[in-house]
Amino acid sequence: MATGLSYREKSLYASLAAELLVYGPYFFLHRQNSVNKVAGMIIAIIVLQIILQSIIAALTRNRVTDERDRLIELRGYRAGYLMFASLMVFGLGMLWFHATVGHFRLDNRMMGLHFLNVFFGMLVIADITKTATQIVAYRRAL
Amino acid sequence: MPAIRNQIRELRAMRDMTQQELADRIGVTRQTIIAIEQDKYSPSLETAFKVAIVLGVSLEQCFQYDPRGKR
Repeated sequence: MATGLSYREKSLYASLAAELLVYGPYFFLHRQNSVNKVAGMIIAIIVLQIILQSIIAALTRNRVTDERDRLIELRGYRAGYLMFASLMVFGLGMLWFHATVGHFRLDNRMMGLHFLNVFFGMLVIADITKTATQIVAYRRAL
Repeated sequence: MPAIRNQIRELRAMRDMTQQELADRIGVTRQTIIAIEQDKYSPSLETAFKVAIVLGVSLEQCFQYDPRGKR
């Protein structure tokens, strides 16, 4: 049976598309060697989200959200948090390991940018996990 | 077999009511009505009562609980 997409589902698909469109090229195509690129990426995702969400809001007449939407949203946030916490534990473990064996040179100017990218990457993965979990939850039994 | 089943589709058909009409009257999305009818979502007690009231039946006529069911 064709169920169509609710306002929240359309919004989630748009968010996922925006995230992949902006974060994908940044992490896989560019050299992450500048704070300006990080700032540009943040601005790009904000602008793209505003444009996409405005279009969806304008094209969708029925913008009702209900208890199922809220439940799915909570599940998404739980999955995102678990992903972020797991990555943080893994990242801190790696940091501790490399610091112990002396791989890090903290006087290196690129070290701050490297950490910025690693932690920002964790946030991005957690955010994509949250959105993807919500999209899957709409298609599965709760 | 799900733990909570319902007769919403049949009751709605008897009243010639669309999913959208039922959704509008109880304040949920049409997708939620579809999920409830397909036993993919068990609504809150409040929504279950609203569904029963709108369809003009008791809660037991609308929803049935099977303790041997999944979930």
